Amino acid sequence: MADALLNQLSLTLSVHTSDVFVAPAMSLADRASRALESGVWGAVLYIVIGLVAVLTAVSVLGLVMSYIERKVAGHFQCRLGPMRVGPHGVLQSLADGIKLLFKEGIEPGHGDKVIFIGAPIFSITATILLLAIVPLAPGIQVVDMNVGVVYIAAVSGLGVMGILMGGWSSNNKWSLLGAMRAGAQMISYEVSLTIALLVVVLFSGTLKVSEIIESQQQGWWIWRGHGVAIVAFCLYVIASTAELNRTPFDLPEGESELTGGYHTEYSGLRFSFFFLAEFANLFVFSALAVTFFFGGWLPFHVGNYEGFNSVMDLLPPVISPMFWFGSKCATLIFILMWFRWTFPRLRMDQLMRLEWKVLLPIGFANLILAATVVLTGLYFFPSAT
Amino acid sequence: MTTTTPVPTETECPPIDFGELKSECVAPRPSIMGQKRGLRSILWLSFKGIVRGLLTTLSYFRRPSTVVTQQYPENRETLEMFERYRGRLSLIHNEEGEHGCTACQICERLCPNASIIITKDKKNEATGKPALDQFIWRQDTCTFCNICVLVCPFDTLEMTGDFESSVYDRRLLVFNLNEYAGPTAGQLDKLEDDELAKAQMKPMKKYQGPVPMCGGEMDGIPKLDVEKPTDV
Amino acid sequence: MTVEVSSLKELVEQASGDDRSPDTQEYFVNMGPQHPSTHGVLRLVLKLDGERVLRCIPVLGYIHRSIEKISEHMNYMNCVHLTDRMDYLSSIMNNWAVSKAVEEAAGIEVNSRIQTIRTIFAELERIQSHQLWWGVLGMDLGAFTPFLYGIRDREVLNDVMEETVGARLTMNYVLPGGLMADIHPNFVHRVKEFIKYFRPKLDEYDDLLTNNVIIQERLRNVGILSPQTAVQYGATGPVLRGSGVAFDLRKDHPYGVYDQADFEVPVGTIGDSWDRYWVRVEEMRQSMNIVEQLLDNIPPGDFLVKKLNSKIKIPEGRYYSQLETARGILGVFIVSDKKDEPYRMHYRSPNFNNLWCLEPMIKGDYIASLIGAMSSLDLVIPDIDR
Repeated sequence: MADALLNQLSLTLSVHTSDVFVAPAMSLADRASRALESGVWGAVLYIVIGLVAVLTAVSVLGLVMSYIERKVAGHFQCRLGPMRVGPHGVLQSLADGIKLLFKEGIEPGHGDKVIFIGAPIFSITATILLLAIVPLAPGIQVVDMNVGVVYIAAVSGLGVMGILMGGWSSNNKWSLLGAMRAGAQMISYEVSLTIALLVVVLFSGTLKVSEIIESQQQGWWIWRGHGVAIVAFCLYVIASTAELNRTPFDLPEGESELTGGYHTEYSGLRFSFFFLAEFANLFVFSALAVTFFFGGWLPFHVGNYEGFNSVMDLLPPVISPMFWFGSKCATLIFILMWFRWTFPRLRMDQLMRLEWKVLLPIGFANLILAATVVLTGLYFFPSAT
Repeated sequence: MTTTTPVPTETECPPIDFGELKSECVAPRPSIMGQKRGLRSILWLSFKGIVRGLLTTLSYFRRPSTVVTQQYPENRETLEMFERYRGRLSLIHNEEGEHGCTACQICERLCPNASIIITKDKKNEATGKPALDQFIWRQDTCTFCNICVLVCPFDTLEMTGDFESSVYDRRLLVFNLNEYAGPTAGQLDKLEDDELAKAQMKPMKKYQGPVPMCGGEMDGIPKLDVEKPTDV
Repeated sequence: MTVEVSSLKELVEQASGDDRSPDTQEYFVNMGPQHPSTHGVLRLVLKLDGERVLRCIPVLGYIHRSIEKISEHMNYMNCVHLTDRMDYLSSIMNNWAVSKAVEEAAGIEVNSRIQTIRTIFAELERIQSHQLWWGVLGMDLGAFTPFLYGIRDREVLNDVMEETVGARLTMNYVLPGGLMADIHPNFVHRVKEFIKYFRPKLDEYDDLLTNNVIIQERLRNVGILSPQTAVQYGATGPVLRGSGVAFDLRKDHPYGVYDQADFEVPVGTIGDSWDRYWVRVEEMRQSMNIVEQLLDNIPPGDFLVKKLNSKIKIPEGRYYSQLETARGILGVFIVSDKKDEPYRMHYRSPNFNNLWCLEPMIKGDYIASLIGAMSSLDLVIPDIDR
């Protein structure tokens, strides 16, 4: 039994090493399917490696993003932001992380202990699951499902469960209020978010995320979509801000109203899980926007201007996708941060009114318009084929 | 569910006649949705307001010169306090190290929270006049109201800009402001014998004795080493 | 008008005893003493139905320092510095209120230089108080950036005042019979510089908050305080004027040298939070006008008419004097028994009365509106308890 296990392990390992070092052209997704097909242990190994990689990514993302957020916020507000730990405070998030690690995890009396502990884990799991489908570069994607968009819609809805659980189990009225707000808000804006993504699905004719990027070789959907895509993008940005619980839609936290909302009672590592999930979500939602509207890792091309396009292609193919994806993402994240540090917060009824009376009708009308555009084939930059 | 909308309660009393209190200057209250505007103008104004807000914050973001943060311990060298800043009370000493306090105790009497305690030598053997023994100033109870400086008839007190006065033991916040116990500069000048004048100036320590009210020794707090330099 | 008096305990017991419909349950929640937007240690007991506020009961006493009682054991000059700790954002105006009461009672005439400088400082203080309020209002409504912009500009003004006064918050600048110190030689120049700096910044404030549709929708038609209710509850200052009652002591019973200045008293229309917001923003502009008018002709004279180490004695009797601070009317009531210490000292603080307007203002509205309305009242909690 043990021998067989070891054999299997070494086999899968050899398969993997050969895949990684010998056949770099093979995409991660293909590798995944091969690993999954190679047997139970291969699948387990792949899942473990994938999970570790994504978890590390989430932590690093959380650290980096919180540093960037604080720095950006500082400069928006005529401040410097963190300056003390390390040069220009680069190690500040790390120091904060270590501090959170050593803090006491306080559990509220008469709270539901199991759910209380489970909530942050649930919250961060949803983020990790969502991160799995983000294509960072050709082939660098943990899973590439053929129903990717449906998966995104399904998994991003899970995040609200963690928040609801956390707020309910805290045995605190402020937390409960925050959680209820979060539930109402995230479920409502989920609809707009999905409808905005559906526009691109209509354009590209596929649910598979990597194929959506491939379909933008001739031009990003935001340009080619006749304004329909621009409306969809605006809807997406608004809805994702609401999904992320960031100002102007940070009602569930609303620290001036609810003293912190659903995570009022959380401290230490559990709090940091919520925190990490929030920042990783910020990355994930911008990454999805880039994937759907801005051509993912594709470089910036303008129509048939060959000269311009070749300048854009100058980067070596190994760095190019990462560079383009990263810079597009950074821009979007910056815009979300810009919103956060400028706007005040909406009220709950206004928030609901905005979704159900404004965004949703616009979203549906936009979807119908998109269908018309697709049926008539009226794209800008029609594809060569 | 109650779905009441807030209504001002006006029914409780008959309306008040404000008479002449009514003003002509009504603040020009800007509002986007309040006035009867068309949808297009509402949308345009909302959009304009949002974009201008964004541009305002961006204008600061892209100009790092607008940062107003002062990095305190680093800029210690260049930090300048205003000359009138009330940081710490001090007794003015001239170049020869002589003060002008006659121990008249007006500041002690007028101090609102008894932060000044003056003890004096009722009759100095050389001058025959009262001389200052100790000028104790309790920074821990002082409210920096500046009254002592103002009332001093001889202008011997001043507030200095030294603001870095945090210590770990509040007993260190009790100061002896006079550098020597003895007569004022003027009285010392009148003495013809320089040696005799010198003999009147008994040097005092910067810190003298524990906090009078709270006691020198407290439970759990080790006895304070009085000789220790108390520079902050 | 009926007055209901019932203890908090009774109220809570009443509510939990009956009226439990199957779908909703009303509940009590403590907002404060530690809450980010009560700006101190104010405790509001809220009776909520979902997010709707059914009752809002302020509970006081968490920062009571018995300033009135302490004053009974101090001479009139020493009483003044305690008032710095009441409404710390208008400390000079508080100092002035006591000084004014003492001067009127003791019959001390102060020269016009002192009065002019007092007026200028009061208006500068009003501006810095409103600057802080503006920022805090933004922060209460979820925008953090206005807070720092407000603080940044307040810092400039604070420096100007610090140069003359020597302190930043607890200034203790005005005394019975004069001022603590004459104005600094740089003062006039620096105030002019500040006004030049701050006028464009006010337009920026408009860009950032005033013209933002979210802030308007958060404040407009929220927390409506009718003029009748405002007068009944004894609201003063911008809260009263926001409700449309043009009552400003600076205009109606001029003190200092306000009668020499030409300024307008901004007044709201319907008394919602947005009116109070706008009245305060407009007041900043008017205060700058007043300062500009007075700054160039400060008359010569002494800064102290009375020798300070002499005791001020007030004839036996009761004396009341009031003036307009940044938040409303601060009244000083002195009962004297011929000594140099007051027999009884009482302050009628504006925040105390303004606070009680909160409940009629907000009944039946959301928690979020409560925050906005409370922020528009501009409460300073140490002034409520004293």
